[in-house]
Amino acid sequence: MSLNFSSPLFLLGLLGLTFPVLIHLLTRRQQKRIRFSAVYLLAQSQKRSIKKSRPNKLFLLLARCLIIALLSMALAKPLFSAKTSESLLPTSPASIVFILDDSYSMGTRSKEKTLFNYALEYLYKGLKQAPDNSEFSIVLASSPARIVQDWTSDKSNFINKLEAQAVSYRTTYIGDAIEKAVKLLESGKQKKKTILLLTDLDKNGWKEETFPKTTVPYPVQVLNFSELQSEKNKEMIENIEISQEFLTQSRLLRVKAKVKNFSKTVNRLPLSLFLEGKLVKEELLDIPPGQTLMQEFSYPLIKNQPLNGKLQISDDALPVDNSRYFPFHPSQNIQVLVVDGDPETISHQSESFYLERALNPFSVSLSHIDPTVSTLAELTLRNLSDFSVVILANVRELPPGYELKLEKFVLNGGALLLGMGDQVDPKYFNEHLANLLPVQLESQQEFKAGALNLMLTNNNHPVMRVFSPKTVEEMREINFYSMYTVQSREEKRFKVGAWFSNQHPAVIESEKGKGVVILFLSSLDRDWNDFPIQPTYLPWIQRWTQYATRGLENISRKDLLVGEPFRKNTTSTKWIVRGPSGTFYSFENDIFTKTFQPGIYSLFSVPPADTEEQKVLTKLPQGSKPVGTFTVNIDVRESEPEKITQKEIESLLQGFKLEFLEPQSQAIQHKESEAIPLATPLLLMVAAIFLIEGWVLRND
Amino acid sequence: MENSEQKFDTEVLSRISNLKMTAINLVEGLLTGQHRSLHKGSSVEFAEYKDYSPGDEIRHIDWKVAGKTDKYHVKQFQESTNLKCTILLDASGSMDYDSPLNEHTPKKMECARNLVAALSYLLLKQFDAVGLTLFNDQVIEHIPPRSKASHFKNILYGLANISPQGSTDIAEVLLGLSERLPKRSMLILVSDFFIQNQDLQKSLKLLCSRDIEVVLFHVLHPDEMHLPFEGDIVFESLEADLSIGLDPHDIQEEYQSVIRGHINLLKESCNGLGVDYVFLDTSESLDQALSYYLLKRKSLIKL
Repeated sequence: MSLNFSSPLFLLGLLGLTFPVLIHLLTRRQQKRIRFSAVYLLAQSQKRSIKKSRPNKLFLLLARCLIIALLSMALAKPLFSAKTSESLLPTSPASIVFILDDSYSMGTRSKEKTLFNYALEYLYKGLKQAPDNSEFSIVLASSPARIVQDWTSDKSNFINKLEAQAVSYRTTYIGDAIEKAVKLLESGKQKKKTILLLTDLDKNGWKEETFPKTTVPYPVQVLNFSELQSEKNKEMIENIEISQEFLTQSRLLRVKAKVKNFSKTVNRLPLSLFLEGKLVKEELLDIPPGQTLMQEFSYPLIKNQPLNGKLQISDDALPVDNSRYFPFHPSQNIQVLVVDGDPETISHQSESFYLERALNPFSVSLSHIDPTVSTLAELTLRNLSDFSVVILANVRELPPGYELKLEKFVLNGGALLLGMGDQVDPKYFNEHLANLLPVQLESQQEFKAGALNLMLTNNNHPVMRVFSPKTVEEMREINFYSMYTVQSREEKRFKVGAWFSNQHPAVIESEKGKGVVILFLSSLDRDWNDFPIQPTYLPWIQRWTQYATRGLENISRKDLLVGEPFRKNTTSTKWIVRGPSGTFYSFENDIFTKTFQPGIYSLFSVPPADTEEQKVLTKLPQGSKPVGTFTVNIDVRESEPEKITQKEIESLLQGFKLEFLEPQSQAIQHKESEAIPLATPLLLMVAAIFLIEGWVLRND
Repeated sequence: MENSEQKFDTEVLSRISNLKMTAINLVEGLLTGQHRSLHKGSSVEFAEYKDYSPGDEIRHIDWKVAGKTDKYHVKQFQESTNLKCTILLDASGSMDYDSPLNEHTPKKMECARNLVAALSYLLLKQFDAVGLTLFNDQVIEHIPPRSKASHFKNILYGLANISPQGSTDIAEVLLGLSERLPKRSMLILVSDFFIQNQDLQKSLKLLCSRDIEVVLFHVLHPDEMHLPFEGDIVFESLEADLSIGLDPHDIQEEYQSVIRGHINLLKESCNGLGVDYVFLDTSESLDQALSYYLLKRKSLIKL
């Protein structure tokens, strides 16, 4: 027999009992003392009028206290169950392993609590009833399963450990947890050994290949908390695909979301797109029962900056899967216009042959660079605003007036790469592209084989960071046969990106407006050097292209699942990570493993001295710079409401003594259908007391 | 010590003189043209004729009747002895009730004192013997009846020295007194009659059977009849009852009916025994009570 409250917070209303008592005490008149002759007659009179006199006040006080008490109890929605609560735990001392499913599906809300809360409550109650000398341990059953408490007999310590647990964002991994539990039981001191599995039986966590085979038939009690769910998980965002279209002045971000409806009715729900925390778009979706709906958002992006976004649908019982984060890096699929100044009918003799292959060796999805080759004649047909990079490879002369278009293109944020060659007319360049070029072209110089190489002594340039010392060594051996000498212009600022071994600049870069102009002072094909047939040519060209569009620190994998490690693609700088909750983490051996929370993780590069000194980071060290972001999302397989059946469990856990239990029979929390709600009778009692009180007051 | 005694004495004396003045004023005022002594000429007044029988005094034979009827008749006269009156005054704690509400209303004991003094004066003036007995659950002081005028002083002194205390046991006291009181004497009982579980009727019956004329003066303060208090009050007993805390407003009606029942019961039992019952409200003047009493006496005499 037990009494439970669905909304126990309302029990705080019992504090209101103090009010009638206080009022009673305050309004009680000061007692006077009078010496009187006929006291025995007073006593006789009082006896006769006992119903009407003093006790009335006490009765009224009692009635008012009762009204408050019953009302607050009624609001707390009491549920009465005639079933006796019995302890599930063995009555004699035993070694008990609690396997607590802390996967995010246990975060499903049922009334005001989550299933995980119910499981913890059950554990607290069970522990209180457990006999002394019993030993306990906890294994958390989310992936990867882990022992959070080894054997202990100290109940209070154990409860403290339990209180520290919260629902994770991981998936279930029952097999691993059972394996760990079995290992624990082997070292258990008590003769009686048992496993208590508290889970919602989400099918995702049960995989055949992960279950251990046992020789000892340990008893396993499976407590299915999914039965406590008052409402089901209705919908989830299954997947997000990001794509973009490059335009010169703007980019179009396309976000494609798959939303699944688990319920049996048509679900109308709003899907909201958040960018950098701001709601930018919202659509109302009608998803048929059990179906997945695809919804695409297009959003014009003005700034050429990485963005982080989130898609969100309305909340249901399991809120975790109702939002999903996505990273957006503008460097994805850079549209490049390669202007071939020296096209040939034999394709590999064309100026652009190597360039095109280096930029897009297999497919766009890998390199994220989408080159379009154009001849000078076709150039006027191209719309420059469709591209973010223009490469002029060995171009003699641009169509008339086209240099102005190019200048505008660069000023608006486009990148211009120029490669030299025999077609290049320095006079034309120096005259017509004077606004774009920071230097004046002088003359072509020729060298014998082995006479001219790239110097590459200082590898601090962002483009060179990915190259290992060995590859840099290989690059130094590349022969250059010809190059252009340059002369700096007055009042023009530029940087030298790379040097030739003859102390002449090899790459010159300068900023112009929002864009960049990069000048490579040798040819981009094999005419003047052997570079295009070297393996380093491909990454070198790609990185220069990415660098030109400011998408250099483009991280190959930016959308991870909870628990998946993030790998750094460079070893040269120290990075730290800021998690979604604002905590800072450092990398361990270039791998970041603490991706246990969905959200946006920011990466920062840190000056080397700082990271070594400080192990625990509380704020960003000085001199740290943002280098990128990545997002972590939950694995949606856990969201599927499908549950594993008893039969399936029996076949998976062969060799164990299985017992299936419903936690509500253990008097943790009763479902409304099984317990009797007492709210209405209590309210009726309140009404009755009001009536009686009124009657008493009237009679007084 | 000497001072205090002296002080006490002067206080007592002034009280006595006050009492005396009050009593005299009361009685003189009432007597003027109204009072007819109960005993005046009573010893020579003819009562009836009786046949002569041997042993009767020969001088009482009415010779005129013998001459006319030839039979000897003896004249019988009413006894002419003076009255012996004992005043029994209740000096228990309850008589000391002092109203916290109305200070102008005299205390019960004050009223009883004046009454006793007045009655004593009246009786002594008629040359009747008056005695005073103070009691609570036993006799505290007994001043035997004397008819000398100077005896008034003794009575006044006795009255002035009363300090009411203890519980009341009238039945017991009356039982003890009934043996000692001379036959055909008079007993005036002044009390508030707050007695519990006592058979007053039995004691009164005993007195009546001994030809003792009993007059009951029931002295009550108006507070004791109406219970006019308000608020939460703890009533402490002036005698030996347990204190009781209550709101008098709650039981006022009940109490009034109880006290009325108490008075009626006393009145009825007195009527049944032929005992005079006089109710005295301390807020009313004593004249009324006294005149009522005297009128009653007069009417008795007429009968």
